[in-house]
Amino acid sequence: MSPTTQGVIVLVVTLIVLLSGAPVAFGLGAIAIAFLVIFQGFDSLSVVAETFYTGLQDFTLVSIPMFVMMGAAIGSSPAGKDLYEALDRWLYRVRGGLVISNLGACAIFAALTGSSPACCAAIGKMGIPEMRRRGYPDDVATGSICAGGTLGILIPPSITFILYGIATETSIGRLFLAGVVPGLMLTGLFILWTVFILSRRGFRSHAVDFRYSWKEKFQSIPKIAPFILIIVGVMYVLYGGVATPSEAAGVGAALCVVLAIVIYRMWSPDKWWLILRDTTRESVMILMIIAAAVLFGYMLTSLYLTQTLAQGIAEMHVNKWVLMLLINLFLLVSGFFIPPAAIILMTSPILLPIITTAGFDPVWFGVVMTINMEIGLIHPPVGLNIYIVNSIAPDVPVTRVMWGTIPYVGCMMLAIVILCIFPEIATWLPDHLMGVAVHR
Amino acid sequence: MDSFIRGVTLISQICGIIAAGLIAAGVLIVCEMVFVRYVLNQNTIWQTDFTTYCLVGATFIGSPYVLLTRGHVNVDVLPHYLGQTARYYLALASILMSLAFCAVMTVLTFNFWHEAWTEGWVSDSMWRARLWIPYGTMPIGLGLITLQYVVDLISLLTGREPPFGLKPRETAEDAARAQARQALGDAP
Repeated sequence: MSPTTQGVIVLVVTLIVLLSGAPVAFGLGAIAIAFLVIFQGFDSLSVVAETFYTGLQDFTLVSIPMFVMMGAAIGSSPAGKDLYEALDRWLYRVRGGLVISNLGACAIFAALTGSSPACCAAIGKMGIPEMRRRGYPDDVATGSICAGGTLGILIPPSITFILYGIATETSIGRLFLAGVVPGLMLTGLFILWTVFILSRRGFRSHAVDFRYSWKEKFQSIPKIAPFILIIVGVMYVLYGGVATPSEAAGVGAALCVVLAIVIYRMWSPDKWWLILRDTTRESVMILMIIAAAVLFGYMLTSLYLTQTLAQGIAEMHVNKWVLMLLINLFLLVSGFFIPPAAIILMTSPILLPIITTAGFDPVWFGVVMTINMEIGLIHPPVGLNIYIVNSIAPDVPVTRVMWGTIPYVGCMMLAIVILCIFPEIATWLPDHLMGVAVHR
Repeated sequence: MDSFIRGVTLISQICGIIAAGLIAAGVLIVCEMVFVRYVLNQNTIWQTDFTTYCLVGATFIGSPYVLLTRGHVNVDVLPHYLGQTARYYLALASILMSLAFCAVMTVLTFNFWHEAWTEGWVSDSMWRARLWIPYGTMPIGLGLITLQYVVDLISLLTGREPPFGLKPRETAEDAARAQARQALGDAP
């Protein structure tokens, strides 16, 4: 049987198995074992256990539970509320200040926790009632919070980038840096759109009817500053070449837990267990998919499927931008149904040879892929953020929230187009700080 | 039968606690390693390996607990849009496939562990760790997931649990709302 026929069979079976509702990790593993046996016989099973194990024996992977724990600690404390208050008290009189404090708080909190639903819940609980109190249209109030929550997987530290880095053997430090400017750009696009639509509908995006005293302004800082300092510290340590991502994340996680406990007086062991339980559930789920994805990748390469696909696409001489468009459409549709972590681990090893053969930068593509994944987070039917926002403001119909998110989906697509025209937006910072990458 | 189900559920919960302990140990050891290396300026020997093994152990040992709490991510579009009968057969097929995978992996990883045990394999790092210890977490964890899947299968066949844990008339939107409520409940 030719590799092309084998490839088609593997693709179809993978789709069927994934759609069956079986856990992604076990589904991928089962497919890998089945095809190894069918095409290479029972002898091929001798390396399965070792491959499964080596997938996890990597010190870089230690950073995943550490960053998850950092997010869980901050997410389980009322830090989101304080962050929102701090920004609001400082920016409320600036033109567009209310929007900036909402989306800015989303961006910072999402970066701190790395969790889109946690961010939506924490900032939305404060921001949505506040915006509605000022009479802002429901679709803008809810849509902006939905969109703001997605920023966490683009702004470092981001688990999505760690997974992409591991799956494609791209530098995680470089990916983190590459996400910074596009993350700020996307936040900027969101803010611009919100301010524009509000002023077009005749609303003021700053407050004039009351004032916060300087005391109130400064009161809001001490609780939130330490967390931001830790994240900045982790980033500094990473790029100063002082420590590895895992070491930086480990110390950061321990400090975040201690700070959350001390600042918010979370003395009860029940709360500690909740942080640890959430960390365990999320990390085990991701790591199990990694082990299975490594096994799946091993099956694909040992049957020469990845290589055949990359070669086949190269020989078709498709225009590289048409290719990029098709890849993005494929990722977009996958993102409607499958969570980002699973998509990245499954598809990026297959996509990478195609991308590099077509002459694209893998770090740049990591950023594009992540923005693409963000769209899936606020798009039905998976779009969890929509339902969180709907639970915060139950009287706003789901369809109105969904319509509210559409312009922000447009902003994300625009960001991808801008990145395609000016790839330097992603690559400039890593190239500037870490030297030009060798892969080009 | 009920006592078997309760027993396996209890074991899976204990596994969750052990896995959480391993992750907490990993965080503490990374901190210790950073202290020794960057503050005391001494070499570290066992910490990198030990943390990695903790994590591998947590992944395999914690997996039955994550399965019990439905934490393993799946694509649930089809189950949500199917009728009751089709949903039942789909759940049956997906459980049988996962069960088969975990059972086969238990055997394969047991053989791998056994080889490491009898031939006295050690890691090629400075620490020379005995590899049967981390390798041992694989057959234990996967064996327990297999047991947890047997429980899931029994629960499905005897009607103790609805297919995919979904209530008869539950739609994708209901499930998303339930998830949203959970996320909101966790947030302060």
